[in-house]
Amino acid sequence: MSEVVLETKDLSMEFPDGTQALKNVTLTIKKGELVSIIGPSGAGKSTFMRSLNMLNKPTEGQIVFEGENVLKARGKQLRQIRRRIGMVFQHFNLIKRSPTYQNVLHGRLGYLPSLKGGLGRFSEEDTRQALEILRRVGLEDQAFKRADELSGGQQQRVGIAQAIAQTPSLLLADEPIASLDPSSSENVMTYLKNVCQEDGLTSIVNLHQVDFAKKFAHRIIGIKAGEVVFDGSPKELTEGITNYLYYSK
Amino acid sequence: MSSLAKQIDTPVEENKVLDMYKDLQRRKKVILKNRLVLWAIIAALVTWAWTGTNFSIAIIYTGTANMAAFIFTDLLPPDFSAFGRYLQPALQTVYMSLVGMVISVIFSIFFGFMAAKNTSFHPVIAFTSRAIIAFLRAIPALIWGITLVVAFGLGPLAGTLALGLSGIGILGKAFADVLEEIDQGQVDAVKATGASWFQTMGQGVWPQFKTGFVAWSLYKMDLNIREAAVLGLIGAGGIGYTLQGNINLFQYQQASVGILMIFALILIVEYTTAKIRERLL
Repeated sequence: MSEVVLETKDLSMEFPDGTQALKNVTLTIKKGELVSIIGPSGAGKSTFMRSLNMLNKPTEGQIVFEGENVLKARGKQLRQIRRRIGMVFQHFNLIKRSPTYQNVLHGRLGYLPSLKGGLGRFSEEDTRQALEILRRVGLEDQAFKRADELSGGQQQRVGIAQAIAQTPSLLLADEPIASLDPSSSENVMTYLKNVCQEDGLTSIVNLHQVDFAKKFAHRIIGIKAGEVVFDGSPKELTEGITNYLYYSK
Repeated sequence: MSSLAKQIDTPVEENKVLDMYKDLQRRKKVILKNRLVLWAIIAALVTWAWTGTNFSIAIIYTGTANMAAFIFTDLLPPDFSAFGRYLQPALQTVYMSLVGMVISVIFSIFFGFMAAKNTSFHPVIAFTSRAIIAFLRAIPALIWGITLVVAFGLGPLAGTLALGLSGIGILGKAFADVLEEIDQGQVDAVKATGASWFQTMGQGVWPQFKTGFVAWSLYKMDLNIREAAVLGLIGAGGIGYTLQGNINLFQYQQASVGILMIFALILIVEYTTAKIRERLL
């Protein structure tokens, strides 16, 4: 429980237009934790998460993932870091025109030679594994359908399946339930939590539903205007803090 | 107390609504004024163009009469004995269009990916590719044809290359625009798995790009048939070359067979490409 998976030091990011999205974010995430980041829209939750696998580039600070300096990584080294970090998106971001099982197989791309992966020539072992993961998230009946034929909740489970196919050590979920109805949200969060527990994954989940964060997370981090203003257990998150996070200027 | 408050409040509320209504009317007036200016500009442009081209209803009337006389006395009836002589060049036009399309598709994939901001390696490369594409598009296929006939001599090779080059101008731009409109979120998701550039293109970009790619390439095939017919007039091979021979010798009734065959070719190709599109998409 004490092994550190991810560490950020004074992480700051300023967009080209001058917006300060992150201010000196210093956090330590330990192995096996399910951390939820809460905060109002525009607080920098997504920017923080997308910085961790360099989908956007922070302007200052340091990110250390399993002992490797993420911000210094380029080319092959960066791809090898990315394949150990699974990511789930708010709008699912599945390849809509590709079948479900192929979307799961995309999780294996980081392990394949460039040409083979680009042409979609996945091995039999990878394919079997992908189908097995689909079964785990309860989508064995949807495996051969086009991804956009699935419901929102199902698509998000495909997103989780794709992330697991990477056999990651860290799972990032960027507002995974923001576009889903309450019952699908519950369902997706349950799958997410179970999968993390079964595989011993560390995960960071951006949420803006405080009740979901309290229910599912081991630890909650509150971000406001790019700064960490709360870091503690769900019990420590009082109504006063929530009000401060969401309503005070 | 509360009734007193209401009495004081109501007139204030009404004033507010009245102010908002006045504001709305003022905004509407501004929009109306803008529209009038726009229509005045359009009207002025049309008048300018009208006088500039010496357009007059009278000329249309006499011109139509002349044209009808030409069609009925010279072009009709078509002399179908010329059919055999047109068959080979017609096939040649199809070959030219097809090979021209393949050439432009291959190069356009390269230039299109380099020109689209989201798939290019660097903004400078994107700008350069856009510039090359725009240059190729600025020169019409006919001008390419004239240049290439000088370089490679008369015949279908010059015409095919002309179609290929000018096609890059059109397809390169179309491909780049299609690529720039794809959903970046899907591409990010593939990138986040640790995929390389080629893998991201193959698995994240290509499925989104495929429909636009097929539709535009087939549309170019349609256009090529039309352009190939014109290219023949400058000696770059194909059905237009034979057609011009007939016209030069005042064999209009044979020429009308050529025109009918171009018409038929366009219909056939259009039908075929429509069927292929249906199948693929």
